[in-house]
Amino acid sequence: MSLFSELRRRNVIKVALLYAVASWLFVWIISHMVSGLGLSPWVSDYILLLLAIGFPVALIFAWVYEITPEGLKKGIDVDQTQSIVYKTGQKLNAALAVLAVLGVAAVIGEKLLPEFEPPPPLVLEEIPLKPVFDFSAKAVVPREITSFNLPNGLEIIVWPDHDIPNVAMYNFVRAGGRDEYPGITGIAHFFEHMMFNGTESRAQGDFDEEMEAAGGANNAYTSNDLTVYMDWFPRSALETILELESDRLQNLAIDPDVVETERSTVYSERRLRIDNDNFGRLYEQVRAAAYVAHPYQNPVIGWPSDIENWTQQDLENFFKTYYAPNNLTMIFAGDVTPEEIYLLADQYFSPIPRQHPPPAITTVEPPQEGERRLLVETDAQTPLLHMAFHASAEGEPETLYLELLLAILAEGTSSRLHQVLVEEEQMLLNIGAWQSGGFDPGVAYFAMTLPPGGDPAAVEARLLGMLDEAATEGVTAEELEKARNLRIASFWRSLQTIDGKASVLGNYEVFTGDYENLFAVPEQLAAVTAADLQAVAAKVFRRNNMTIGVLRAPLEKEGP
Amino acid sequence: MRHFLLTVAALLIAGPAWSQDITLPDYERIVLENGTVLLLSEKHEVPLIGLRAEVRGGSVADPEGKAGVAELLAAVMQKGAGNRDAAEFASASANVGGRLSVSADVDSTSVAAEFLSRDAELMLALVSDVLQRPTLAADELEKEQTRAIGLIKAAKDGDPNALMPHYANAFIFGDHPYGRPTTGSESSLANITRDDVLEYYTNNFGGDRLIISVVGDFDAAAMKARLAAEFGRWGPAAAALEDIPAPPKAPGGRVLLIDKPGATQSYFWFGNVGVALSYPRRAELSLANTVFGARFTSMLVTELRVNAGLTYRARSVVDQRTQPGPVTVRSFTETSTTVEAIDLAISVLRRLQDKGLDDDMMISARNYIMGQFPPRLETASSLAGMLAFLELNGLDRSYIDDYGSELQAAAAESVALAISEVYPQPDDLVFVIIGDAATIRDQVAKYGEVTEMSITEPRFRVPPAD
Repeated sequence: MSLFSELRRRNVIKVALLYAVASWLFVWIISHMVSGLGLSPWVSDYILLLLAIGFPVALIFAWVYEITPEGLKKGIDVDQTQSIVYKTGQKLNAALAVLAVLGVAAVIGEKLLPEFEPPPPLVLEEIPLKPVFDFSAKAVVPREITSFNLPNGLEIIVWPDHDIPNVAMYNFVRAGGRDEYPGITGIAHFFEHMMFNGTESRAQGDFDEEMEAAGGANNAYTSNDLTVYMDWFPRSALETILELESDRLQNLAIDPDVVETERSTVYSERRLRIDNDNFGRLYEQVRAAAYVAHPYQNPVIGWPSDIENWTQQDLENFFKTYYAPNNLTMIFAGDVTPEEIYLLADQYFSPIPRQHPPPAITTVEPPQEGERRLLVETDAQTPLLHMAFHASAEGEPETLYLELLLAILAEGTSSRLHQVLVEEEQMLLNIGAWQSGGFDPGVAYFAMTLPPGGDPAAVEARLLGMLDEAATEGVTAEELEKARNLRIASFWRSLQTIDGKASVLGNYEVFTGDYENLFAVPEQLAAVTAADLQAVAAKVFRRNNMTIGVLRAPLEKEGP
Repeated sequence: MRHFLLTVAALLIAGPAWSQDITLPDYERIVLENGTVLLLSEKHEVPLIGLRAEVRGGSVADPEGKAGVAELLAAVMQKGAGNRDAAEFASASANVGGRLSVSADVDSTSVAAEFLSRDAELMLALVSDVLQRPTLAADELEKEQTRAIGLIKAAKDGDPNALMPHYANAFIFGDHPYGRPTTGSESSLANITRDDVLEYYTNNFGGDRLIISVVGDFDAAAMKARLAAEFGRWGPAAAALEDIPAPPKAPGGRVLLIDKPGATQSYFWFGNVGVALSYPRRAELSLANTVFGARFTSMLVTELRVNAGLTYRARSVVDQRTQPGPVTVRSFTETSTTVEAIDLAISVLRRLQDKGLDDDMMISARNYIMGQFPPRLETASSLAGMLAFLELNGLDRSYIDDYGSELQAAAAESVALAISEVYPQPDDLVFVIIGDAATIRDQVAKYGEVTEMSITEPRFRVPPAD
């Protein structure tokens, strides 16, 4: 005979149920008396305690004793054939039913009597907090994205998104600091300014006035590899924007007077970003030292003497070569259809003639064969320490590994370097790290601010020790998972807005040759191993591959 | 292809940009019994959630002479909360790719979080811990205090624009709470004790001060229950929220010159006390400021940058708060053209005040504001921020939903009235300039009485103190 069936036979289970229901009803009544009669709240707590103590006693009693016609007897003393446990069970059932009815009636009664209603519970409803989004679905290339080329070589990609009645347009021009040489450094960035300064039929300022009057806004940036123009506008301004863009690509006026004013503006920008900002001053020097052959050595904004001296002919040549349709990729994201973009693009951009492709940049930076050091002495309360290590180009697998590694080392306050150098040892006020690879190999860059009186040599030793550790010991599985999650989150973040969509789609198209690669990011991340990260650490973080720069105040001179 | 063209033509004859309505999406507003306000809106395009919590108080509640307490507290709150120490707390959100930050503003302390929707449970628990159960360990506080002082020194070695608000607020608002630097100064930070920070927390943090706005990929009923369970029992802050008095206008014709020897560029702000968020002619003010100095074709950019080549950037900013904030013109220029650029900027201000806006300017500004508005509410985080902003400032959805019609209804005369009410007259201007004092000291004296200090002084105003 199993324990369970014996428990049933002896009515122990029924007694337990009865006890529970009766207790609940009792407590319910008492608690209402407590609130209704103003008794102190410990009364119901006290009763609850007594009932809890009574529960095992009742069960033991039910197990040991049995009700017989002669009265209460120990179960083992009862002749099983004479046992009336079944009848007792039925009585217990009846009692249980009565109590249950009373309980239900009490609860219903309570509902009908609002004056007894207790305050609403804080937990309104137990619903699991789950995303509505389907995380099991893979990131796939959205079918609504369409790309096409005009006969003149202009490449156009359209990503319809009708969430808001706006459009983000990006024009990626394959011209950047990389395409410059001594005498014309900064010219790509200068063109970024000149593109807003008038055409054969529009005076300086008209471009912006017409765009803003139609509700649009614009901006542009220049990098080592690209000049990128952005327009953000309500869809009602679509044709106005395309006409404006077409006009400046076809008919740009390079007015010598305007060139002189714009030179001053660009010089002001240089003073802002570099000359009056210690970070900018050191960054410029470290990059110039890290590269000895490749044009990545030049500052994108240009060396001061080049800003002052480029000629009208330089400007005209540059425009003709680099602003040709076959050197551009345009992205439209937002409240548009591919059909309307095709028709408008054909109308406004097809007349622009194709040009010879720009000259290929063939200079390859030779391997570095020993560390390089430099010092900038200037007024500074807080010294700066920058380090650059040659790395890889955009689109190479190692670039993804390095991105994850740098996230582990220096992204956010939980990163390794921040935890040790800023929090534990307080050698730094802050640290940031990134890589700069584009069409050609970039550098892994570490930028640090020291507290007043900080010792750059001590920080250098500590940092190099930790980079060595990454190369010899690698990273943990948890760290890799964290870096993956950071990238997955930024992947989704970039797809939140039409601006983000246009930007990432264009960057993938231009740097990897196919925008569809963007949607492979989650899968690529899943395939990366800790060994990949360790290998890239060992390859990049070598002393012979390092350029190190310090900016600090001049040291106090010793006596005469 | 002909019919295609016709279709396109029909599409392109859409109305002017401002005919599109700007409206907030639907959201739910719940007030818990302890006074906490919940604002919830579902949005499922991407698997992200944006959260913004605002705790009423902010740097205006900093004690006298201890500017920076609220901001220092915000920094230390992130250094351990609940059962996590500083490193564990930082890792908890980063491990799942989430972001969580606490910062003090003038009128409130904010918690901003953005995370994948699958991590909602964890991230809500972290937000709850950081607000209700921060550890506020003594050693972490000491580190943050030292670091905050170091970062101000570092900022003085960097782009001076970052420090301009501190100098300008101190000079414009004087002893009013708006004159205190939110970050504190080197000297005020050094004065702050752990007791100050603990007392600020006790006095200013509690369920009655809290607004939590959440937008994104979640089920609103589940989120409501979760937030109610997490924050509904939080008791009130120990102190009552103090009313901030309206600041008086600053006496004009004064110059604060901050000497940065060897600077090749002068950075300047001029202006005075402006208007509060409750200012009734807000559409007119938006139109006026857009034309004057808040877009690329603004009068300031056109004159100072495009026509004169004096600067890379020029703008006007009307900072509206519970009480009137500053209204300022801001730019920078090569040291040798300091006076030329300031004079030109003043003449542009005078032109705005004399001529107002013509019809073309009105239409263009209206289209620009309306055309640029939708992207401002595009993400879960930006919507969460907007809902919290409205609640914090006692505004409702009509603040957004009626904006378009108010812009359309604004007439040139009422815009002129707004200009006269908001922008100070040239005689009432207060000037703050960071630059090479040896070169420009005598030249800028023409704008009024010059008070000079070195950028290396450990405060943002001339003594007595912050």
